[in-house]
Amino acid sequence: MQREDVTAVAAPGQLLERADELGQLQESLHGVARSGRGQAVLLAGEAGIGKTALAGEFCAGLGTTRVLTGACDALHTPRALGPLLDIAMQTRGELARRVDAGALPGDLAAALLDELRRGSPTVVVIEDLHWADEATLDLVRLLVRRLNAVPALALLTYRHDELDRRHPLRVLLGELPRAAVTRIVLGPLSAGAVATLAGPYGIDARRLHERTGGNPFYVTEALAAGTARVPDSVRDAVLARVARVSRPALALLEAVAVVPQRTELWLLEALAEGDLGALEACVASGMLRAEAGAVGFRHEIARVAIEETLPPDRRLALHRRALAALAAAPGGQADLAHIVHHAEAAGDVEAILRYAPRAARRAAAVGAHREASDQYARALRFADRLAAPERADLLDRRSYECYLTGALPDAIEARQRALAEHLLLGDRLRAGDGHRWLSRLAWFSGETATAEREAHRAVEVLEQLAEGPELAMACSNVSQLRMLASDVAGARHWGTRAIEIAERTGTPETVLHALANIGTAELQAGLDEGTEKLERSLRLAQEAGMEEHVARAHSNIGAIAVYQRRYRLAERFLEAGMAYCEGRDLDSLLLFMLGWSARSALEQGRWEEAEARAVAVLDRAGAAVPSRVYGLAVIGRLRLRRGDPEAWEPLDEALELAMQSGELQRLGPVVLARAEGRWLQGEHDLMAAETERTLALALDRRVLWAAAELIAWRRRAGLAVELPPCPLPEPFHLELAGDVAGASAAWTRIGCPYEAAIALLSGAGEPGLRHGLAEVQRLGARAAARHFARALREKGVRDVRQGPRAATRSNSAGLTRRETEVLTHLAGGLRNAEIAQRLVISEKTVDHHVSAILDKLRARTRTQAAAEARRLGLLDR
Amino acid sequence: MQLYAILRRSGWRSGADLEVAARRSAQVGHEEMSTEVRWIRSYVLDEGRGGVGTVCIYEATSPEAIRKHARLADLPLDEIVKVSDTVIVRPDPTPRPA
Repeated sequence: MQREDVTAVAAPGQLLERADELGQLQESLHGVARSGRGQAVLLAGEAGIGKTALAGEFCAGLGTTRVLTGACDALHTPRALGPLLDIAMQTRGELARRVDAGALPGDLAAALLDELRRGSPTVVVIEDLHWADEATLDLVRLLVRRLNAVPALALLTYRHDELDRRHPLRVLLGELPRAAVTRIVLGPLSAGAVATLAGPYGIDARRLHERTGGNPFYVTEALAAGTARVPDSVRDAVLARVARVSRPALALLEAVAVVPQRTELWLLEALAEGDLGALEACVASGMLRAEAGAVGFRHEIARVAIEETLPPDRRLALHRRALAALAAAPGGQADLAHIVHHAEAAGDVEAILRYAPRAARRAAAVGAHREASDQYARALRFADRLAAPERADLLDRRSYECYLTGALPDAIEARQRALAEHLLLGDRLRAGDGHRWLSRLAWFSGETATAEREAHRAVEVLEQLAEGPELAMACSNVSQLRMLASDVAGARHWGTRAIEIAERTGTPETVLHALANIGTAELQAGLDEGTEKLERSLRLAQEAGMEEHVARAHSNIGAIAVYQRRYRLAERFLEAGMAYCEGRDLDSLLLFMLGWSARSALEQGRWEEAEARAVAVLDRAGAAVPSRVYGLAVIGRLRLRRGDPEAWEPLDEALELAMQSGELQRLGPVVLARAEGRWLQGEHDLMAAETERTLALALDRRVLWAAAELIAWRRRAGLAVELPPCPLPEPFHLELAGDVAGASAAWTRIGCPYEAAIALLSGAGEPGLRHGLAEVQRLGARAAARHFARALREKGVRDVRQGPRAATRSNSAGLTRRETEVLTHLAGGLRNAEIAQRLVISEKTVDHHVSAILDKLRARTRTQAAAEARRLGLLDR
Repeated sequence: MQLYAILRRSGWRSGADLEVAARRSAQVGHEEMSTEVRWIRSYVLDEGRGGVGTVCIYEATSPEAIRKHARLADLPLDEIVKVSDTVIVRPDPTPRPA
């Protein structure tokens, strides 16, 4: 048997040792077909392990099922939305239209999902996600989230060994809810499988398995190499094979090797200068694979191996030819990234300067900001060849893209260079705007002093010119800094100025930003007019269709309100905000608000609700999601209070997460929960150590609710505390001043039953302690109950009762909480099925509750039960 | 999944009430929460005039899953403790199948 035929042996239909994985894929697909609900499968494995082969094998066996495939590019800076462009070419229709129109990932995902609704089922394959651009990753995130609603199987492949900790795909995978995806990892071939492949060639199968580690591509290349001993690396295997082909064939292989992924035939013709005679032989031998109108290597490994060993002058010549051919091709917008790739490889600076900025703008337009940033950086490497105005413009754009991708130091550097250019050019408008940007970037980097300085410099510079949008934004920027520094007067002064200028210069966006700044400052200071301004800002944003601003405004108001313990206000905005986010794929803000609503419920003593919400946050927030901290803090605190096991695990994880950002907003809830835990468990030394730094931080930033609570825990633990000069929130102030009854009453007014009880431990007499004990027992706070029991025993009290369980709230008929709920619905005329739906329980369970209700109320019919309940005043309002 | 011990002291007035509750418990566990809780076994406690209680052993994904199960099946719940090991010295005297 000829060595070149080895690929035929390993050809489709004879994939070795992939039966299990194939079965898994088929089962998933059957599941989709049966239930009509989509699933995602993540297929991972090292290069050459056969992910593409498995995907191909799976798809080949699908018969009439519709298959859509796309692949990510192996370019330094990949095409934006590469795989989606591939898929759009197959579906045509609305998806293709939107792609041409340059739509954003959100709209593209919607169009793709519409396409997937049509088949039953459809299979979508997206390969090599480790090379995906940012826009594609966004799209995949949206797709996986929504997949449940369409009958489609999404098969996503990637090289897991190429993901370091910060890789964007790693982050995305960390965000996907575990229940939403099936993960398959392909392993190497066993010695037996390798022996099967090697059999006909008389090569040492054991040595082959050892050397190749069972990597299928390496194995097949080694066998095809035709050398006596096994090549040392897969690269050597590929090169050994290449060494044996004819000259015309080699020329063709080299031409194909310089074009990533695959080479279209027209391009190959240009590269090979018309001589395609040896092409058929190359394909027949299996060295190249033919697809629709293009050829490519069987694996990227082979292509790279050949490209890297090309003589430099040959490489340059080929890249130059590719560049020329692509640049001359009609309507090649999607090829900008490829053009830049060849321009760079050919060392053609002019071409880089011409095409890289265009590629950047195209990428930015569809939301592939990392790629846009890269392309600008590429052009800027030759910045000295550019005219000053163009250079300054590219620097500004590069800074903006870096900002969007969170690369702050790079954003600052580019902006500073741009500023220098604008100053030299005497462009004070751009210079002023540059100062404003530097102010914002400094603030994000935690450099408040620089932020203030640059903010005022921006206004100074822009004031010298005629009024314009830039001056309005500069003023609004100052107002934001004043708000963040809790300076209401300053926020108002600068915000008002910003609004006036913005209204005169027609910049509505700045109007609503400034309104939001003033409103937030006022709200933070406890001034109710703030809410009105924030609502106005919200309305403006809604009218302008600025969805993210609307969502952010809801979440900011909600969070501030919860923090200030103004629960009705908080719930109004959080509920509305979450509903707003739900239909709009604003997932991170939704999770943020869900976390805060969990905390709100916890603080109001609605612990079952808090539990449900916090669990929901954790279910949906993978390890890479910042809002996970809030869910963990609530769960941990609940477990501590209830005396449930594993209380410290979520709190330890939360602490680690919160320390990554070091922000008080995240540290606060965690450190407070841990402080309470230490107090509940009598670990006073640990509490002292763990709370010291955060307390200092909270006092420094005048985050007084948090500071006061930390001081209170420390005092309750018997630690000496120093009261700050500023007035602390009322309930804490009263407790620390020794007015325990007053403190408890204040907590009750605010609506925090647990806190109202705990305060009593700081000095109440027997009646107060008994009341506190009953309260914490009602809430199910077993840990605190022990403290009360001990306090009562210390007062000589003997009969410290256990009291009713949390599940049974006291009312005269002895109905449980659940039974009261069911009874209320029943009295409202709902049937069992409707009650079941309303409470999200099964009909049978409702039935059991109804029986118990009839029993306890000694009623014979539902109507009787309802009447009796009304008489006794048992129904929920 | 972890193993947990759950105390439900004086949860019911009589054995008959407990039996009804047990059916609810099994149904919720089997139909609604099969991937989150697995009821392993229970010992019924004679609480004298306090009626009957139970010590239940469950496998569950989290303490919250156990609480959710108790809510849906309307079972009282006093305490959840994590079980780190099972040591069987002798078989139960007269185990009653559920």
